[in-house]
Amino acid sequence: MLWIGFLFGIGFGFFVQRAGLCFAHGLGEIFMGKGKRIARYFLLIFVITGTGFWLSGAVSPLLGLKPVGEIRGHGFYNVLSGLIFGAGIALNGGCVLGTLRQIGEGNLSFLVVFIALIPGMALVVYGLNPLLEKGYQAQQVVLPDLLGVPGGVVMGALVLAALAGLKYIRSLKKG
Amino acid sequence: MKNWTDNRALMVAGFAALNVVMYLTIKKFWIGGSSFLPMIGKPGPDNKFLFSFIVNLGVIAGAFLGAVSSGEFRLRLPQNFSRSIIGGILIGVGVTLAPGTCTTAFVTGIPMLSVASFLSAAGIFIGAFMVYGLTWRR
Repeated sequence: MLWIGFLFGIGFGFFVQRAGLCFAHGLGEIFMGKGKRIARYFLLIFVITGTGFWLSGAVSPLLGLKPVGEIRGHGFYNVLSGLIFGAGIALNGGCVLGTLRQIGEGNLSFLVVFIALIPGMALVVYGLNPLLEKGYQAQQVVLPDLLGVPGGVVMGALVLAALAGLKYIRSLKKG
Repeated sequence: MKNWTDNRALMVAGFAALNVVMYLTIKKFWIGGSSFLPMIGKPGPDNKFLFSFIVNLGVIAGAFLGAVSSGEFRLRLPQNFSRSIIGGILIGVGVTLAPGTCTTAFVTGIPMLSVASFLSAAGIFIGAFMVYGLTWRR
């Protein structure tokens, strides 16, 4: 199974490199008021992946929409982790995908970032987590369950909104 | 003549489609930060994180192939060690404090409509903008 994962990884890496995809750069572009490119990419990913994940539920009950990660401490630790992660990617100029891509492109600064992940992760896993896990509840929820609305309705509405967003960005480019 | 692999939107679409294909064929999707946990001896339940780690080693190999085939590969030595180390440690803390919800949020979690990913994405925006605001003022 692991070699299949490696082959998929090669495909992901090739697409990411050719797309020049990096959410840290994208956030920087938004900060500079030039966020059209990353917004277009994000909406494109959402439309394709969201529709695909939702439709996969028709293929097998083991597939379909599933929670990714956990809501920890009623969301407090998610926002906090995002905040720290966001600060980290802005500081070194690469998200996880961007870091892997840059290593592949020969930028060894990102190999230093990659190695520096180890003390950061160890600090949380062996230091903070044993203390924190006693103090929070972990939940795994998807948006349709939270809203009490069928997944198809929520996904359909969001995909339509994303398509409208893509059309709007396209009209801005033409203008 | 322009190569089809130079069409960036098409390549983004390819990445997204491959994520769906992987989910449909082997019931696994791309994840980012948690995949590095095997580096500190945590392979995850049923080697879940180890599998993702191998996928992400493949990402490096794939990016290398893409860069070499397009003439974009260039060996660059590390320049700002302190910035890379601090940034890496912060990323390491962020990805493990709420696993599976950072870069993963943008490419897998939000398309899965996972509430944890929406919350993390909100935090990422705030954190990144704070750093951009502080560093770009100088």
